[in-house]
Amino acid sequence: MSQFLQAAAYGLVQGGLLALVAVGFSLVWGVMNVINLSHGALAVTGAYLAWYLNTHLGIDPFLAIPIVAACMFVLGYLIQRGLINLVINAPIFLTLLLTFGLGLVILNTLQLVFTADDRSIETSYASQSFAILTVNIPYGRLGACALAVALTVLLALVMTRTRLGRAIGATGMDRGAARLMGIRARHIYAVTFGISAALAGIAGTMIATVGSFNPTSTPSQLTLDAFVISVLGGLGNTYGALAGGVVLGVAESIGGLVLTGTWVNAIAMAVLIVTLVIRPSGLIGKAQYSGRVEV
Amino acid sequence: MSNPTSAAPAAGALGVIMQRRARSRREILGEWIRSRTAANSWPALAGVAALLAMIGLQQLIEPGTQRLLTAVFLFVALAQAWNIIGGYTGYASFGHVAFFGIGAYTVAVLMNNYHVSFWAAMPIAVVIGVALAVGIGVPLMRLRGHYFAIATLGAAEGAREVINNLTPLTGGGGGITIPTFGDQAPTAYFGKPGFYIAFLVVAAASVAVAALLARSRLGFAMVALHQDEDAAAAVGINTTLVKVIAFGVSAAIVACVGAFYAFQQIEFYPTDVFDTNFTVLMVIMVVIGGSGTVLGPLVGAVGLELLAQYLRVNLGIYNQLVFGGIIVIVVVFFPQGVVTFFRDAWLTRQFSILDNVRRYRL
Repeated sequence: MSQFLQAAAYGLVQGGLLALVAVGFSLVWGVMNVINLSHGALAVTGAYLAWYLNTHLGIDPFLAIPIVAACMFVLGYLIQRGLINLVINAPIFLTLLLTFGLGLVILNTLQLVFTADDRSIETSYASQSFAILTVNIPYGRLGACALAVALTVLLALVMTRTRLGRAIGATGMDRGAARLMGIRARHIYAVTFGISAALAGIAGTMIATVGSFNPTSTPSQLTLDAFVISVLGGLGNTYGALAGGVVLGVAESIGGLVLTGTWVNAIAMAVLIVTLVIRPSGLIGKAQYSGRVEV
Repeated sequence: MSNPTSAAPAAGALGVIMQRRARSRREILGEWIRSRTAANSWPALAGVAALLAMIGLQQLIEPGTQRLLTAVFLFVALAQAWNIIGGYTGYASFGHVAFFGIGAYTVAVLMNNYHVSFWAAMPIAVVIGVALAVGIGVPLMRLRGHYFAIATLGAAEGAREVINNLTPLTGGGGGITIPTFGDQAPTAYFGKPGFYIAFLVVAAASVAVAALLARSRLGFAMVALHQDEDAAAAVGINTTLVKVIAFGVSAAIVACVGAFYAFQQIEFYPTDVFDTNFTVLMVIMVVIGGSGTVLGPLVGAVGLELLAQYLRVNLGIYNQLVFGGIIVIVVVFFPQGVVTFFRDAWLTRQFSILDNVRRYRL
């Protein structure tokens, strides 16, 4: 029983971390109908940035977050303004290809600069843990999870309460009408991608703090997780990614306990496909977005 | 959905799509011969000439170049197959590697565990590939756009995990080996020259299938439902059937290529034949060449595979970086594909690349 509780607790905090990766991915997908295959690469870029700040300047990863977020926002803004906006009206596989190519460029640049070695940010507290009854919870993962929840709530508030957030939402619903209302769609798209990149960078920083990362296998795994979580949670609802992340995290850690080998991955994919077929709008997604997929 | 004036009930499902009028074979043949002109037969003649030239070329080149061209043929076949579902029908499958892997593993398991000849195992691999395509195609083809892409991606990942965990049958993560030596071998190994011819024939066959399909009623039905699925259904096309057939034909070619690939590799692991990069390369080659054309995937596959090999040999560690950069640049400058761009430019006499960039810009 305590094993199950431990697995559930681990899955819960891991799910929060995964949700942080997915929330930006889901935002870009929902607003621009772009699947950003370079999302994992952007997260790892953030991780390297935080790692560099930590090892060379001695900045704590949690304090490095604003710097990482600002840098990643600028990078994301420029990528959208300079590249993705150029093919935004083309058939869907073009944006997939463009972001795939972009991911290759980013990751190989990182690999040339930092080599392909596994890296992690060492802190005195991240691997320390405290116990509730028999369940151990590491501080690092708990902090990452709390940050993920806080940022998701913040993003939801920005999206519903501010002028910028409403402009993003309006552009996502109907770009033509939004432009007629005087919204600069090019700028709004770039800001959206910038926010997504910043969130990816923060997620990367947290991944580097609680575990390790490298430029070869980490990015594709992160992009795939973001995919699954976005679909599970549904688009167009900021909290969807959080729900999807927690479901995936808990399912994977409990599944890992019950099933042998890597059957848990096969089950995860089966769940994904069944969810898509039965409820394409996700667990708590809105119908208006699922209606937009016919491009 | 059947048209009462033309469809013969006995012709079955395909007949409904093709809506073929009842005519005698001699009538059809005579009409076909009379309709041949230089303008409509040159692509077929050029194709046959290219095939013969490649067979002749084999005598002139060294084994290293032979292996390079074998890889090119493999990608030509894969790109043509993806184009049928992704280009003509407009359903971007991101799980095509599943059929490749299933084809490869069917052959390997049959040859290794049951000592079946390659020539018996290969058709079985194709049948299993098609069965899988129909099995996952019927539910998943209801999804559109990105959702279809992700569902197929998930299906491929799932297929890999199943193969990975069926250790008693497939050897699991430890890989599988096809016996090729002495009395152990169910079929003698083809060697480099043999595989050159084998992949050349598969590539030529896939080009021919794509070309014939593109000019058939089924091909027009595919293009129609790509442009507007509801309108296509309204004019009497059984859209589900057309989609599943397109998916099945595409999967059959990919499974066949996978079967030959398995025999060529002899030893491989689930991560090799279920590598997502195969799917991504198929998509890149088709889209950069020009999706929805016969020439596009051919140009894309030959161009990109030769480029990738050149970069690998000459740029060392920078090759992936440059390859990614080239993909980005080509996507931005030729969003509709190189072949489509030059065809349209030739027809309209509009050669400005800047105007072309403006086409899909926000």
